[in-house]
Amino acid sequence: MKLSTPGSTQESELKAGLSDYNLDILSRKRAGLIWRLIFQASTIVGIIALMILILNIINSAYGYSALKAKVDPDTLAVEGVPLEEQNHGQLVAVLQSHISGPAFKKLDNEKPFSERSEADVRALVIARVVRLQVEKTWNLWDSLTKSGEINTEVARDYPDAELRFTSWLNSDFINRPQTSEPVTAGIRTAIYGSLWTILFTVLVAFPIGVGAAIYLEEYATDTWINRLIQTNINNLAGVPSIVYGILGLAIFVRALEPLTSGQIFGIVDPTTANGRTVLSAGLTLGILVLPLIIINAQEAIRAVPVSLRRASYGIGATKWQTTWSHVLPNSIPGILTGTILAISRAIGETAPLVVVGASTAISFDPASPFSKFTTLPIQIYQWTSRPQDEFRALAAAAILVLLMLLLTLNAAAILLRNRYSGRF
Amino acid sequence: MQQNIETTEKPELVIETRNLNIFYNDFRAVSNVNMSVKRHRITAIIGPSGCGKTTLLRSFNRMNELVPGSHAEGEVIFEGQNLYDPMVDPVEVRYRIGMVFQKANPFPKSIYENIAWGARIHGYRGRMDGLVESCLRQAALWDEVKDKLNQSGLALSGGQQQRLCIARALAVQPEVILMDEPASALDPIATLKIEELMQELKKNYTIVIVTHNMQQAARVSDYTAMMMLSDAQRAGTVIEYNETNIIFTRPQDKRTEDYVTGRFG
Amino acid sequence: MMRIYNKKGIQEQRETMARKTFENELQKVKDAVLVLGSMVEQSILDSVAALKKRDLKASERIFEQDKQINQKRFDIENQLMILIATQQPMAHDLRLLASTMEIISELERMGDYAKGIANINLRMGDQPLLKPLIDIPRMAQKGVDMLHRALTAFTKEDVELAKSIPVEDDEVDALYNQVYRELMTFVIQDPKTMERANWLLWVAHNLERVADRVTNICERTVFIATGVMAEIKSTDDEFWERQKKG
Repeated sequence: MKLSTPGSTQESELKAGLSDYNLDILSRKRAGLIWRLIFQASTIVGIIALMILILNIINSAYGYSALKAKVDPDTLAVEGVPLEEQNHGQLVAVLQSHISGPAFKKLDNEKPFSERSEADVRALVIARVVRLQVEKTWNLWDSLTKSGEINTEVARDYPDAELRFTSWLNSDFINRPQTSEPVTAGIRTAIYGSLWTILFTVLVAFPIGVGAAIYLEEYATDTWINRLIQTNINNLAGVPSIVYGILGLAIFVRALEPLTSGQIFGIVDPTTANGRTVLSAGLTLGILVLPLIIINAQEAIRAVPVSLRRASYGIGATKWQTTWSHVLPNSIPGILTGTILAISRAIGETAPLVVVGASTAISFDPASPFSKFTTLPIQIYQWTSRPQDEFRALAAAAILVLLMLLLTLNAAAILLRNRYSGRF
Repeated sequence: MQQNIETTEKPELVIETRNLNIFYNDFRAVSNVNMSVKRHRITAIIGPSGCGKTTLLRSFNRMNELVPGSHAEGEVIFEGQNLYDPMVDPVEVRYRIGMVFQKANPFPKSIYENIAWGARIHGYRGRMDGLVESCLRQAALWDEVKDKLNQSGLALSGGQQQRLCIARALAVQPEVILMDEPASALDPIATLKIEELMQELKKNYTIVIVTHNMQQAARVSDYTAMMMLSDAQRAGTVIEYNETNIIFTRPQDKRTEDYVTGRFG
Repeated sequence: MMRIYNKKGIQEQRETMARKTFENELQKVKDAVLVLGSMVEQSILDSVAALKKRDLKASERIFEQDKQINQKRFDIENQLMILIATQQPMAHDLRLLASTMEIISELERMGDYAKGIANINLRMGDQPLLKPLIDIPRMAQKGVDMLHRALTAFTKEDVELAKSIPVEDDEVDALYNQVYRELMTFVIQDPKTMERANWLLWVAHNLERVADRVTNICERTVFIATGVMAEIKSTDDEFWERQKKG
């Protein structure tokens, strides 16, 4: 329904007549509708892609698997005590008697049996002695829809195998250390490795990054040197991470070997006395995310309104008092956002850590900053490069764990940020 | 205008400028100002936009130095000392000559903290509660906020926030309070409250106010300085300075007359 | 017309809209004052003419005219109040509005004087004048003439013109003294003429007051233009000051 146009009475010549305008409201609205649909479609495409990814991973992480034991666990019972109930000493004896001497010694060197927990040793027994092997795995979709077919196939092709529904992602998976056998593999080592690495990353990058941001925003004058520094920082954020890996290798692993291997402090990893340690990884990743943190912190500090600073100066505060008591507290939400971004990036980095020397086959938790380590992405990478199906399932499970870890860290940081922005 | 009976020996002029010129890099914004600010009086600076009123006001407590490239020539004498002497620390100037801004900008802290923080950084060692109450009373805000001192300063209305900023400035015991269009963002009732407050404050402090509201300048001030862009240099200068009554009933300079009667662009 | 100062601070005249409404209103007020002034001038001349011709009907009409003069005065006063309340006048505008209040009050009083003269005419009724009126009409004409020029000076804010008028008050004073002496002669010769002499003296007195009030109008005009309120001295004042200095 069109509004009635006003009758023109005594209007001055300056006012244009309505006939000069093309008031096609309908076509304007139509254009807006079309764009809205386009944007909605883009969002939906993005959501669909995400869902496909996640469903694919979940699909791989759960399903039927046919398991066959090389050595029947019942035969390992010592004096009538089944494997599950044997104590530490019995387990060690079983292990010793069933694997080769050099292999046993190697395990002992990696981590003395006296220091390994009972669960660890039991896992080793299952892995190296019982050698539960996976004959075949099926993914979740197949397991749910074609269970009959699977049963017949197993009965036909793998008569000795036991068909079990495995959720590759379970609490054992998280708590067990890594082993070479897929059935007993766990990612505890990798989780600890990731967490330790991130800890050092943040310890290094956060203070340096925030400090640099404060200096650049509050104290640096607009000279060509400072502009050069600023440009370089912005560019460094886009450097491929492998470059940081090479940098880390050259400086932290090799040049600063006494520091990163712990020689200076006298705490040295018995298996390798070199710089390929958690500390090196943390430092490397720290340098990697430093530009990110600086840029975000700068944005946050810049976003604090000038009026607040003026108010502070107006009652006779010095520059430092203003920065410490007003600018920083009000820019913490933004700085924390930058830190979240940095952590998210760092957790997922694989290439630089490969260069720096993350081990791919360790099975004990890192004991100190100066020990060997592995991280979740590296573990995933290693498993996906194995041909067997079961490793793919393990990789999927590990990916899920990585995603959950990321979500948890993000949530924690967001909670922290909200708490701070709600305060004065 | 009531006569102020001084019981102690104090000079009548609190601030006096001598040939004050203010520059932004090479551009001269304010040229050759010679004016004075009298103790326990309200002095208004009026003039059209862009003539340098705020620049001049900010030069009284060296706030213009926060803008990079800004410097001043000439002297600003405060209590017998030139504020622009190289030996003088601007930080010290700024708590003896406080400032209230156009848009109220309380700290995003509690009302109590807003006032206490300033006192604390200047090493106040007395009873903080007493100081906060005294400042809020002087700013005519105590009754309205005495039960909610821990609430955020930003939760107050515009007029209350401005009074909080005044209380915050009072916390460091200034002698002069500079106000840069303090009521321009407020509704008429809040504006009147601020004007009443100024009349009370001038008993203990000296006030300089910049305003583009002529009626406010006429209502509130004892002395008025009229600023305008001077002829050739595009720099602002004080073209007339006199008692407010005279400026608004029979100004001497034709340009002042044109401005106060509204016939100036 | 708005006076604009460009970047060089030089005054430029430009046609713009600044306070056009206010200026129009001020002009209307000045015109209204002129109208009031001519009403008053007319009343004065009419009242003296009616007295000279012993036209009682004409004198009655003066009363009507006075009502209109009062009404006009209140109208202008109302308009002034509105302008003061709504336009925030300052400096010159303020002086103009405040002085106009005074001036219309003076004019209204002059109207009352005319009414007083008409009243005396009616009171005298059938009684003949003591002598043909010569000086009294001269006083009236002089006063009206001064008033007319004073109002011109007011409209144009012509300070020189305004300052030059009060001195003519001396002439009116001289005429008044003459009338006084003549009437005294009549009374001494024939005491029964006392009443009529009194009345005629009162008429002359009213006309002399008209001239005084014109002086006030001139002083107000000077105040509007310059902001200085000062009495413009007449020779009378100077005479008394010299006396004081002895």
